[in-house]
Formats: sequence, C-alpha cells, structure tokens
Amino acid sequence: MMTTVRSAGVAVWRAGLARNSWSLGVWLLLSALLIWYATLIPVFGQFQITSISKNSLPLVYLAIGQAIIVIAGGIDLSLGALLLLTNALAARFMDDQPFAMVLFIAIILIAGLGILNALVGYIISVSGVPDIVVTLATGYIWSGFALWILPSPGGGTAPEFRWLFTGAQSGIGGTYVMPILMMMVPAILVFLLSRHTRIGLSIYAIGSDSVAARLAGLDVRRAKVSSYAIGGAMAALAGLATVALTGTGDPRFSVGANATLNSVAAVVLGGVALVGGTGLVLGAVAAGVILIMLNPILSAMGIDPNNAQIIQGLLIAGVMVVGGLVTLLRERSA
Amino acid sequence: MSESQPLLATVKVAKSYGPVAALREVDFSVRRGEVHALLGANGAGKSTLVKILAGVHPADAGDLHVDGRPMRIHAPVDAIAVGIATVFQDPALIPDLTVRQNLRLSEIEESAFTHWLSWFDLEDLDTDSLVRELPLETLRMVDLARALARDPQVLLLDEITAALTADQAERVFSLLGQWREQGRAAVLITHRLAEVRRICDRATILRDGRNVALFEPNSDTAAANGSATGTMQDVDEHELVEAMLGAEVSDSAAIEAPGSHPQRQQESPSSVQEVSFAAQGLSSGEVVRDISFELRRGEILGLVALEGQGQERLFSLLSGDRRPSSGDILVGGSQRRWTAPYDAVGDGVVLIPGDRLLTLLPNLPVRQNLVVPLFSRIRQWLRIPTDERQRVMNAIDRLSIDTRAASQVRRLSGGNQQKVAIGRWLVAGFRTLLCFDPTRGIDVQTKREIYALLRELAASGAAILLYTSELAEIQLVCDRVLIMHDGRIVDEQDAAHATESSLLTAAHGLEVLA
Amino acid sequence: MSQTPLPAQPGAPTGLAARAAEHISEHPTLALTGILAVLVLVTGFIEPNYLSVSGARNTLLQAAPLGILAGAQTILMLTGGIDLSVTMVATGSAYVAANQSPEGALIAIFLGIVVGLAVGSANGVGVAIFRVNPLIMTLAMSGILLGLFTAWAQTILQGSTQMGPFIKLIGGGSFLGNRIPYSVVVWVLIAGGLIWLLRRTGWGRLLYAIGDNEVAVRLAGVRVWQVRITAYIVAGVLGSISGILLGGRTGAVDLQLANAFLLPSVAAAVIGGTSIFGGVGGYTGTILGALILSVLNSMLTFLNVGQAIQQVVYGTIVLALAWGYAGLTRRA
Repeated sequence: MMTTVRSAGVAVWRAGLARNSWSLGVWLLLSALLIWYATLIPVFGQFQITSISKNSLPLVYLAIGQAIIVIAGGIDLSLGALLLLTNALAARFMDDQPFAMVLFIAIILIAGLGILNALVGYIISVSGVPDIVVTLATGYIWSGFALWILPSPGGGTAPEFRWLFTGAQSGIGGTYVMPILMMMVPAILVFLLSRHTRIGLSIYAIGSDSVAARLAGLDVRRAKVSSYAIGGAMAALAGLATVALTGTGDPRFSVGANATLNSVAAVVLGGVALVGGTGLVLGAVAAGVILIMLNPILSAMGIDPNNAQIIQGLLIAGVMVVGGLVTLLRERSA
Repeated sequence: MSESQPLLATVKVAKSYGPVAALREVDFSVRRGEVHALLGANGAGKSTLVKILAGVHPADAGDLHVDGRPMRIHAPVDAIAVGIATVFQDPALIPDLTVRQNLRLSEIEESAFTHWLSWFDLEDLDTDSLVRELPLETLRMVDLARALARDPQVLLLDEITAALTADQAERVFSLLGQWREQGRAAVLITHRLAEVRRICDRATILRDGRNVALFEPNSDTAAANGSATGTMQDVDEHELVEAMLGAEVSDSAAIEAPGSHPQRQQESPSSVQEVSFAAQGLSSGEVVRDISFELRRGEILGLVALEGQGQERLFSLLSGDRRPSSGDILVGGSQRRWTAPYDAVGDGVVLIPGDRLLTLLPNLPVRQNLVVPLFSRIRQWLRIPTDERQRVMNAIDRLSIDTRAASQVRRLSGGNQQKVAIGRWLVAGFRTLLCFDPTRGIDVQTKREIYALLRELAASGAAILLYTSELAEIQLVCDRVLIMHDGRIVDEQDAAHATESSLLTAAHGLEVLA
Repeated sequence: MSQTPLPAQPGAPTGLAARAAEHISEHPTLALTGILAVLVLVTGFIEPNYLSVSGARNTLLQAAPLGILAGAQTILMLTGGIDLSVTMVATGSAYVAANQSPEGALIAIFLGIVVGLAVGSANGVGVAIFRVNPLIMTLAMSGILLGLFTAWAQTILQGSTQMGPFIKLIGGGSFLGNRIPYSVVVWVLIAGGLIWLLRRTGWGRLLYAIGDNEVAVRLAGVRVWQVRITAYIVAGVLGSISGILLGGRTGAVDLQLANAFLLPSVAAAVIGGTSIFGGVGGYTGTILGALILSVLNSMLTFLNVGQAIQQVVYGTIVLALAWGYAGLTRRA
C-alpha cells in the first residue's frame, strides 16, 4: 500500500516536471550561466551575487506581475509606467522621512497600485477593448502622472529602506541575503497563490479557456481583475526596488517602456506562453535574472556593452525560434 | 397534470443575436420525475434555450421559474446554485489544468465525483492528468460526472450520446431511469429519435424559435413504472420529424426518402469509370495501417468506423495535412508527394473536415468564406476573378444557404455553416472530395439536401470519399463502403446491400474475422 | 430551412436617436470623421491660426509618417500580428538614407528601403515559419536593430547624418504655393495602394481570412506562411518609407528619430477600428485614426500644458476612443 502510494506520488511529480520542463530548463540555464560567469572573472563572491540579485529585483518583480497577467490571458503594457509612477511617488514622498513612515508609504503604494491596476483590469473586462490597447493607453496616463509628480530626476528614501532591498544602507556592497530574500519571498508567495488557491487556479482557467471557465461556473471577471491587481502590486514593488537601488526617482518615459518590454521578454523566455493558461511564475523569475546577468557576463567577456542589446535580442529570438522548431518537428514526427 | 408543479419552466422566453431571432416566445416546462426531450431542426433554437436555462446568455424577454418561484439567472454560477447542471456539447473543462484542479475550481467533493466516475466504469482515470491530454469521450463523461456530483435537480444534456460508445450511452440511460425514480428531471437534446422513443417521457419540439408541439403520451404510467424506459415508445418517429420540419417542408423531404434517390437506381459506375484517386499501403504510425483503396470518377465511396479507429488521421493524410509514414497517394494514376494541403488542393483533392471550426472564418461574411480557395496560388493574389461574384451567387443558390445573417458566418445555424464549408469548394472547383462526417449534428432537412448534392456532384464526375457516423447514410448515398477497424480496412461491402447490422458487425473488426 | 423573411423583430430600435446610433454602428467611419471634425474645431478655438492652410499643412506633415507606419500595423494586425520593430526600421532606414545621401537621392532611398525589406523578411520568417509570437519576434528584432545601428553609427555608418536636399524636399517640402506637402502626396499614393490591396486583391482577402481562422485558410489550400511573410515585408517597406519621410522632415537623423511613433502607430490602427486579434478592420479607419492623433497632438502643443499633462490627456483620449468604438460596434 505504502509503495503504491509513493510510486503514485513519484508519477505525479514526474508528470509535473515533464509539464514544466521549460521552467526547469530556465533555472538550469541560470545556474549554468552563473557557473560560467564565476569562471570568467578572477574573483567571484558575495559582491557579484549581491549585485546580480539586487539589480534583477525590478525586472523580476515586473516579470512576476506580467506572468500572472499573461497566464490569465492578458498582457499589461503599462507595468513599466506603473513602475515609473511608484518610483516617482516614492522618491518624492519618502525623501527625508523616518523608516517607519517610509515603510507605511511603501505599503500604501503597493496596495494603491494593486487597486489602481485592478481598476484597469475591470475596465478591460467591461469595455471589451483588448488588454494591449487599454494598457497602452493607461501606460501613457501613468507615465504622465509620474512626470507630473516628479518633473525631473530627484527625491530620495530612507537608508534602512535601501538596506531592505540591497543589503546595504548606502546601496553599495552589502549582503546578498536581503536581495535574495526580497526576490524569492514574493516570487514563492505568488507562485503558491497561483498554483494552490482557487483564485490562482481560476487565473489559469480563464487564460486557458475563458468560455469553459464561465460555463464551469467561474467568475471570469473576478479572476481577470485579480490578475491585474497582482500585476499592479508587483509593479509597485518594482518601483520601490528601483528607489532603493538608485536612491532617487527617474520619471523618464523610455525607462518605463524598456521595463515593460523586458518584462514581456522575461515572461516568454520563462516559459509562459502569451496565449495564456500555461507556464509557471518561477520560470519568469529565472528568465528575469538571466536577462540582467547578460550585461556583466558580456562585459566580462570583453564584449562592447552596445552589443549586449544585440545579444539579448538574438537570445530571445533564438530561444523562440528553437521553441518553434521543436514544436514543428514534434508535429511532423507525430 | 395540474397536480405536479413544474420543476423548471420558461414563460414566453425570447432571445435575439443581433438581427437573428433565435427564440421568439418559448413556453417550456419540465416536471419532476421525467426525462424530457427537446427536439428541433438545426437553428430551431434548442441550443439557445439550453444556454438560457444554463445561464450562459440572459434572455431578452420572458420569465424563468424554478419550482414555481420566478428566478433570475445571469451567469452559469446562478444556474448551478438553483440546481440546474448542464453538460454542454463542448466539455466545460479547463484544458491546461488537471481533472483534480478542475474539480477544485468547481468546488466539487472529489468523493462524489469518483462515485459517478466508477458508475461509468472510469474509476481508473488518473485525476492528475491534464484535461488537454484526455480524449473527448472521456471528457464528456468527466463533465457529466462533475455535473452529477453537484447533486442537481435538473440535468440538461446537450447531445450527450454523440461522442459516447454504445456501452457508455447505456450507462447514461440507466442513470436517467434512476433520476426519474428519484423525482428529479432531465432534459435531453438529441438528434437521435430512437433514443427519444426509448428513454423519454415527453418531448417538446422547437421550430423557428417557437415551441410548436408537445408530445405527451399516456403520462400516467410514467413515474410509476420506474423502469429505465420512458413512455415515448409508441410515438411514431415520422410524427416527430414532421413536427420539427413543419408540414410543407416534410412533404418535399419525403421525395428523397431512403432508397428513392434516382441516382441510386443506376448501375454502379465503378466498373466503367477511370480511377481518379487511390491510396496504396498508406500508414501513419500505429494509427493508420496499410490502407489501400481506389476511388473512381462518379463514385461515392463510403467509409465506416467506430469512434477512434484512425479515420481522422486517414483523412488528414489523404488531404495533405499530414505526411504518411509510408505508402503512396496516387492522383490520376501518378504518385504524389504532398507536404501541405496546398499540394493536395493543387491536385484537385479537397477536404471538408468534420469540425466546422476548422473550415469557417467565423467573423467574416459568407462571401469572404466562399472565395478563400480562389487565391491559393501566389499568381492569383493580385487580382480578383471577374466572375467571383457570380460564382459565389451560384454556390449560395445551389446550396440554398440562408443568408439572412450573412455578415458573420458564426451567426448562421449549424446546417448553414456546413453548407458554407461545402460551398467554398463549389466556388473553387475540385476533382476529389473528402467528406468527413458532413451531416453530424445537422437537422434532417439539411442532411437530405447534402445527400442530394453529393449525388449530384458524383454524377457530374467528381470522386467522393464519405466518412459518416450515421450508418443509415451508407445505403442512402454511397456506391461502395469500406469498413475501418483499428487503423486498417477490414471489409468492403456493396452499399446497396449493406445493412446497419452488417456494417456494425464489420466495424467491430473481430467478429467479422472470426 | 424556411425561406420566409423574418417579421420585424421586437428588439429593433425605433426612436430617432436609436436609429442614429444604429446607423453609426454600421458605419463607424462616420463617428471617426465627426470626432476628427470636433477636434479640429476645438483646436481652432484654442489657436485660431490653426484653421488655416498652414495649420492643415503642419498637421498633415505630422500625420503622413504616422499614417504610413500605422498602415504597416494595420496590415499585420489584420493577420493577427503586430510589428514593434517598425519604428526601429524607420529609424534605421532614415539613418542609412542619410548616410548614403552623398551618393544621390535614388541610391539613398533604395538602400533605405532595403533595410525594411531585410528586417521585414526576417520578422516574417520568424513569425510564419518558426511560429514565434509576433510580439516577441518584433520586440527582439527591435532590440537587435537598436544594438546594430548603435554599433554601426560608430563604424560603417559613420559620416553624414544629414538628409540630401531631395529627401528633405519630399519629407518636409510643399508645392502649389507652399500649400500641399510632398509627403502627403506619397501618403495618398500609399493609401490608395493599401486600400486597393486590402479590398480588391486576393492577397487582401487572405490577410483578413488568416486573421480570422488560420487553420481554415490552410485547409483551403493556401500556404499561410507565404501570406504572412509578404505581409511583414510590406510592413517593413512601409516602415522604411515612413522613416525616410520623417528624416527628410527633420533634416538630420539620430537613433531616436521614430521612437515616439511606436505606440501611436498601434493606437491609430486601433482607433480606426482594426482589431488587434485580426480579421476585422481596414485602412480607411486607420487614416482617420492617424489624423485624429495628429490633430490631438497639435491641440496639446497649443495648450502648452507641459509634457506630463499631454501624456495623461493623450492616453485618456486614446482609451476613450477605443472604448467608444468597441461599444459602438458591439451593438451591431
């Protein structure tokens, strides 16, 4: 009896791994890159790990948020603008405040942007306008507000707050424990939420087949709005991490636009198909770190940082082409 | 039957989709302890009525009563809450989640679900498998088991037996018998009149969005006898058909009753005409094995098989959609190597797939649907044939496609959609037609039109391969018939003498060999 | 099937207002034209000089490159695709054209268009043959192009960043007493070509069909990849032309030249009624969309409210228009 139970458990695990082999592959790729990077440079230690993990934070948060929204069958082109907005609000209002006040502001911002983006999700669901169009427009609105709140780069935050995300009150050096904790705790929380709660499963359900989900008695709108709320909250975290990293606010439109595009790239590289319903949040986390790691790796290899852009693009296109090729061959041989 | 309060009733329910009125004024009621058949031709409004009862679409007008109380049902979740459980034609299961996760989403007790699974002999089903990976017939049973696990008062079954084996269908019927005894109710939507006579107690007929007839034979014995059979046995199927079609139409339909088609009396052309299409030793993995046949000009070759014997794969090989692992396809005597439907169409071999979703442009007008094959070659891209409009009009006339909702094909009824699917090849022209179950889920009248059209096409020199799940069609339209079992052709019969029982015996494979 | 005509439906609209709404929902371009007219009048109210030949000319000068870029998006959106690299193509083409301007205008324009041909082909192959999601394919392509041109700007494309006189004339000059910009003539020619392609050719029919149901088109014997690749190539060439016009208008080029046009190019097509999911839309609406956005831009400039408020208003109006459009067409 015991053995059958255990073997059934193993079978479930094996099926689970096979279904999520892409996410697993991305984590393996990340490990391989880390090891390679370690051999590329003379000294590899706490400094490098801290630097990679803290610099990854904004993109990883955005990727988590984008992943949840994409899994639900949507896409949010305003996440970068939400990052800008949080960044501007935080830098403006956290400047010269005590840590307690800064924390309070941070919590308000996370909740507030979650609600704000939930509203966007609601608008998408009521209006019938495609996600990509609505968020394109709201992206303009949020980055406009960001510019209005903080017309030029500036502002600041509490040193303790910088320590929280970077492991150092100055934002330089410090321990890797904090950034890794700050990366993995939200990542695992959102992952568990998405796979093991009813609302998480309904987010997968509406992305997989929204008609079937409705017929099965699910509240499609609530699931949609929830996915956008999570996305908004994660974008707020990304904006807070940016303040902590840079110690200042930067409301430039292009910063937000790039962040959005990178979040989409991370999600797709991480194995979350843009059609929705599949993939794991954790895959997007690893892909986000990989995208950030490319820069130090390339410079360690002596490649002009200008070319990093090309390599990153080639990597994304290449991985997708290989993915397409695999599907093509599988269909041919089946 | 005034003493029994209807369990579920609609009063003057109406529903329009854009310009098309699907339901005008429907009064429909279901009593406790009955199995109620909901019948009608395609486009009569059955599916719409089910969707309103299930909360998928709100009604435009009219009232809904559950157990005598007026109810507002805005969403499927409301219907479930008042005890109405529906099994739709397309299983309402999430493809990317496991069966267990689907149950979790629907807040279903797993024990209740597995109870019903074992009732259908599916206790071996691994609830951790992805829905996407399970075959359709299993999914329909899973969907049914889930509906039952909700312990509903009313069960709405939309074409439940269409995808099931005979054995599983029996299980469903005996379940409905129990249901009747427990004083619950079931509504059965079906095209199979034999089923209606066997297990239903009453039948409501819809036509053009109205309830036009209610068959209510000696209902006193209904609940009392407690058997698995209903009380409709004595109803004449022809009466039901007449009610569905309306008087004038059924008269004209009678002209083309079985065996009376003029073409069928002709001498079989197979001995005279040249071979226009042939397969030699065609195989595809383990699914299709060593299939050979010849198809002649002017001939309709039938193909019969139970569900899942490799017929879908065979058709995708024959239409160039997939490459065979071995074997050849010959067109006009010469061997062809196709890599895509493009090549097959170039050789005049065209497919009408079983699933209309594979062949329609749902949001585009009828005309745009019909002309697509005209532009398959690059040299055709920069011009539009001067007779395009004429060809489209001809096809529409010939098929008598109802064009009232022509601006978007998805608004057409199933039968009209199937006509559009056929029509695009009438516009483009072809030599060999591969037809996969063209009459599935289609009303009697349209079926007859399609039979007549196929005979007409064959008479004008086309070669037609027709797979059908309705055995009665073989005698009606085919010249010869091949029987497929487990990926192989196991028998060939002369269609004129093929009976449903001879076909079924052969289709089960082993019996014929024994 | 019964052939009897349906009697009047109970739900049919009766009142005058309802009839008007019905009419507009069947002809959404009317509503767009109305919005355009209102915007022009409001802008004229803010800045009376705007209601003049030179005002119209300035708006058209802005609208032409945007309208051509939006034409590229329209074609691709009809197939269910999108091109996020189209503005990098425009920038790259302008860069190449400026660099080659000393060689003569024809060579410069030709080589500029080669950029669009090459990038369009690469995008098309990725999307059509390797089935990479178009959003991702063109996003990656955009990054690659930015990197390539940044690197090339210091190597093989060193030299002139000034457009030659002919391209400057085409991009920014006018004729008939400084009334009609040459770039608008180019736009009109392209618009005529696109409308003809979409409405009166088999290729156009196939674009719509693929966007609606790719499988059905494949089973109809069409090589879908051929249609897709050609669509991306056409889009690439349109991007090039737009970039060269834009470069001609500004005179000098840099790597940020067309950046700001990416989101408006999608927005113009969407406002014009082309569905991002494919199968629905057309270029006439896109033209109106591009004009609306250009007038809106002028209006916000005249209001002199600062960039922040401009962005907020711009976003809000795009959202409102898209929402209104969806609401109108859903009635039908």
